[in-house]
Amino acid sequence: MKYISKIYVALVFMILYIPILVLMLFSFNATSNTGAFNGFSLYWYRELFRSPEVFDALKNSLILAISASCIATVIGTAAAVGIVKMKNRVFRSSLTAVTNVPMMNPDIVTGISMMLLFVAIGTFIGLSDKLSFWTLLISHVTFCLPYVILSVLPRVKAMDKSLPEAAMDLGCTPVRSFFKVELPVIMPGIITGLIMAFTMSLDDFVISYFTSGNDFQTLPLLIYSMTKKEVKPDIYALSTLMIIAITILLLLSNFSGSKDEIDRKRHQRMIRKAEKKSAVHTQNTGKES
Amino acid sequence: MKKRSLGGSIAAAPHVVWSIMFIVAPLLFVIYYAFTTSDGTLTFENISALSMYQDIFITSVEMSVIATFCCFLIAYPLAYFMARASERKKRVYMVLLMLPMWTNLLIRTYSMMAILDDGGFLNTLLLTLDMAPVHIIGTKGAVIFGMVYDFFPYMTLPIYTVISKIDNRLIEASYDLGCNNLQMITRVILPLSKSGIISGITMVFVPSISTFYISQKLGGGTFELIGDTIERQFQTPTTYNIGAAISLVMMILILISLAIMNRFSDAETSGRIG
Amino acid sequence: MQKLIELRNIVKEYEGERVLDNIDLDIYDKEFVTILGPSGCGKTTTLRIIGGFETPDSGECHFDGKIINDVPAYRRPVNTVFQKYALFPHLNVFENVAFALRLQKVPENEIIRRVREMLDMVELRGFEHKNVNYLSGGQQQRVAIARALISHPRVLLLDEPLGALDLKLRKDMQNELKNIQQRTGITFIYVTHDQEEALTMSDTVVVMADGKIQQVGTPIDIYNEPVNAFVADFIGESNILDGVMIEDGRVRFSGKEFVCVDGGFEKNAAVDVVVRPEDVDFVSPEKGMLTGVVSSVTFKGVHYEFIVDIGGFKWMIQSTDFVDKDEVIGLSIDPDAIHIMKKSEYSGKYGDYSSFSDELEELSNAESVESDD
Repeated sequence: MKYISKIYVALVFMILYIPILVLMLFSFNATSNTGAFNGFSLYWYRELFRSPEVFDALKNSLILAISASCIATVIGTAAAVGIVKMKNRVFRSSLTAVTNVPMMNPDIVTGISMMLLFVAIGTFIGLSDKLSFWTLLISHVTFCLPYVILSVLPRVKAMDKSLPEAAMDLGCTPVRSFFKVELPVIMPGIITGLIMAFTMSLDDFVISYFTSGNDFQTLPLLIYSMTKKEVKPDIYALSTLMIIAITILLLLSNFSGSKDEIDRKRHQRMIRKAEKKSAVHTQNTGKES
Repeated sequence: MKKRSLGGSIAAAPHVVWSIMFIVAPLLFVIYYAFTTSDGTLTFENISALSMYQDIFITSVEMSVIATFCCFLIAYPLAYFMARASERKKRVYMVLLMLPMWTNLLIRTYSMMAILDDGGFLNTLLLTLDMAPVHIIGTKGAVIFGMVYDFFPYMTLPIYTVISKIDNRLIEASYDLGCNNLQMITRVILPLSKSGIISGITMVFVPSISTFYISQKLGGGTFELIGDTIERQFQTPTTYNIGAAISLVMMILILISLAIMNRFSDAETSGRIG
Repeated sequence: MQKLIELRNIVKEYEGERVLDNIDLDIYDKEFVTILGPSGCGKTTTLRIIGGFETPDSGECHFDGKIINDVPAYRRPVNTVFQKYALFPHLNVFENVAFALRLQKVPENEIIRRVREMLDMVELRGFEHKNVNYLSGGQQQRVAIARALISHPRVLLLDEPLGALDLKLRKDMQNELKNIQQRTGITFIYVTHDQEEALTMSDTVVVMADGKIQQVGTPIDIYNEPVNAFVADFIGESNILDGVMIEDGRVRFSGKEFVCVDGGFEKNAAVDVVVRPEDVDFVSPEKGMLTGVVSSVTFKGVHYEFIVDIGGFKWMIQSTDFVDKDEVIGLSIDPDAIHIMKKSEYSGKYGDYSSFSDELEELSNAESVESDD
């Protein structure tokens, strides 16, 4: 049983990784041959770095992902807080149902439905470029929202209901209690939501394909247009770089330390800070007395 | 108390407005386009014209069902073995599984193509081993293979999550009450991981049936899936209406199958086991 | 002593259900007041009205002579120790305690001094920079008390603060709370369903049931002179019997006539008679005022607990003398052990041990801890 499980897991992961590894290998190929390896070279990487398109697309993707994830996080966090406090059950459950539509619906349907809306509005107000950065941004915020709400909502629900009361008891106005107590307590959920939204936005191709204009190309869109032409290893090089970046990010987030370790580190940092503070304090009181 | 519930609605207000404008309204536009001609008159022609696409629908459903089933067959044992591994191994496995999921779908599909292409890695390998090259790109098999390759991590993850949450004492209890390994899995693990299986099926079936990229690349343009058809209709404004009609039907198709699946699973869990 | 809080005709309803029914209560300065009652009796709601977390539907809440119905919680000179402490999980011990001072923009030096002082008082010196999530229940409890006391409130509200602690720790904390209250001279309003806790700590006990105040008095008053069957049963163990007051000092119950010390009832008035289990002595059957058959014996450590059948009514009797099951025994009751109460809506509902079992008792206690809110 043990052997079977080990062999099975190894086999599946091997099949999962062989194509990726082959792709990475051929990005270093000296010729444009994608079947046989003709010697190591960085030719395709040089080609890649020579094209301004790639850098533009990377920059665009980052701008889009950062703005979309930030907007979605603000709206989504407020929504999660609001949904928990909502009294009307019917309204609350229909709102959650609508929120989840972009998550359940095929991307292509979300994409074309938004495109139809944007084209109609654009025609109505007489825009020449009906699809632009702004339509892309709106669509990204829309499909990121459910992921933010999904990660913030459990935190809000799990929060001890007497915490805001305790804050008010000690002198906070309701607004202050939100920023001083509730927000910090649900922060881990907000950060998870932000990261999820950021990666979803960075990764999206299908919805962007329908809602972007000609003037704003993201990395996935660039890759798509590159694959429409003949197969050349320059796209392998780009893919390799992206995979390496993702690997580094993933390893960082997974092995930078477990939650307890982080807590302990933060705790020690606090102790050091407090010791400094109290040292200052004893000096001061020493002078006074 | 009243003040607070009002405060709640205000916090959710931007989201409510956003959802109406950018989730509900676009769907209404799909419905509107599906039932009008390009100059805006009401018609049912778009829907009735769909019989033209009947074969495409059938092929798509067939292929995505096969792909989903294959994903399940591969993913379930993987998820089970992962969930029963030691904590340290679990973390390694998770990274190994997440990495492809974080890699862009286009790149993954493209890497598949690099292997399966006529002049690709596999055929070069076969030739050097003095074996006959195989023609894979352009067959249905290649597309199904691409779907399975691209989406099976999405099946593995939810099943893995559910299985690792199963209380180990339940497994011990089942052995205690006389289950052998196989009975333990079929009578305890499998029924308890149903929710993971359902969300896994959803996460594989929905992108499979609507894909247009995989079929374009691995299908070599020899046949069309629903996704391709929709994508083609939205290249030119004159065919938006028929595209909207196809999308609407696909959406309803998916909704119905999800509902049936949920109903089916609810009935199963409330009934007795085995 | 000066009146600090006055509740006048407070009514509060939730979804049509009346949780507080015309509550009138005076709380004096520097007093340790316990509001005692079973779950759902309205004790927590009363506390929340004083704290400012609920507004009464009608009635007035006076504080120091002024009506504070519309003063929000954050402007009341009242602080609360919450049921599950409600410590801020993102702040360490020091910052939790310093929270109120930071809001008041107190200078850093003073904050440090006062937090130190508070932590000394609750014996948590050296815990300043600990993560509150890693503290034990008792330590979290102390942090919660220090946090609530730091801005020197006039009144400290405590909502079942010891409910989550184990028995030993609970006893220690009871003494400590009483100590802190005496040292600081702050009025404590303490809510609990544990009668022993109420008797141990309080100057005044307020017994509540069904949204009404049943009795207000010192612990000794409440125990010795319960006003009705509910109070008699809820505080300690009681045998409650139907009786007839023949005249002052003479009462008839269980088919016999007894001398007692109470009076002031009409002649031949129907009354409830309370006899505490520890006030009954065993004698030989012929010398007994009453005779009965022992139907069960339980060893309780300090004493034995007997259920004795006297003419069909089951009495609970506690004694250090051992008598075997099924033995016939005589009982003797001193006149001052017989307490007479007026008939009330609770008459006949309590004080019969015919279906008594320890397990049931514990079950219902556990339930009331969980469901009380």
